[in-house]
Amino acid sequence: MKADIDELRAGFLNREFDEVRFEIDGNMFAEYARACGETDPRFTDPADADFQAPPTYVSTLVGGRALPSDFPNLGGVGMDAGKGVEWMAPIRAGATLTGKSHMHDIYTKTGRSGRMVFLVRRMELYDEDGTHVANADTRTVIRERSSE
Amino acid sequence: MSEVVGTIGDVEFGAELPTFAPDTGLENVKRFGREVGWGGGRFTDHEAARKEGFPGAIVPGVMSQGYLGAMIHRWAPKSEIVAIDTVFRAPVLVDHPHRIVGVVTDVDEDAGTVEIDISIVNEREETRVFGTATVRLPAG
Repeated sequence: MKADIDELRAGFLNREFDEVRFEIDGNMFAEYARACGETDPRFTDPADADFQAPPTYVSTLVGGRALPSDFPNLGGVGMDAGKGVEWMAPIRAGATLTGKSHMHDIYTKTGRSGRMVFLVRRMELYDEDGTHVANADTRTVIRERSSE
Repeated sequence: MSEVVGTIGDVEFGAELPTFAPDTGLENVKRFGREVGWGGGRFTDHEAARKEGFPGAIVPGVMSQGYLGAMIHRWAPKSEIVAIDTVFRAPVLVDHPHRIVGVVTDVDEDAGTVEIDISIVNEREETRVFGTATVRLPAG
């Protein structure tokens, strides 16, 4: 199946399709930090006055849906192609965040084995005051199956 | 190669960050799986991963991205990572030695930010994960 990328972009980009709340556990992000090799107490020590989640921690927050409910099946196997984070403000232990997801980009690349479709899902994260604290992008690549 | 930096004045265009060897050992990845998530067999069990077609257990992508952040903070402890984009080119294999290399590709003293290219390479010098980061540093 060869998807019409312009049609997908027109139909799905920037349309919110998921909203999830997260209770931020300081012990969990401290474990994340230590396992990844962080040594700064602001990321690893709950007693530190500036204790906060490493910026990349938001990539571990998973929404309720990966794609909009009416998104078409592209016919190939999806693989995790990358993660992106934009950090705006510290995320502290005990915070309640709201993650709102939309399709941020849809594009293709063509290689020797055919066309690959890239789907970029963005989760915007807001704190209890409505402050936008981070964006977490997930890039999925789907190698299209030949329609022949 | 620049050692630990404190302010943007310490950073030179083209400077290499100190190499960082992340802990890709099975016990560390299992701990990550228990405490954070991504505890499935492809990450924590070599045999289960082989049954899925991998050469062995693989490090979760979110953990690889965390390694990159840790390297930046080790190099510049007072920095803030304002953006980081990570491309997973190939699996990072558990229990295989990897190292992370980085280079400063831009310095914007007016904005107080630097751009960094950063990669995880395996023992064959193959790039497995590639990233770019924008990092804010104190003036100085």
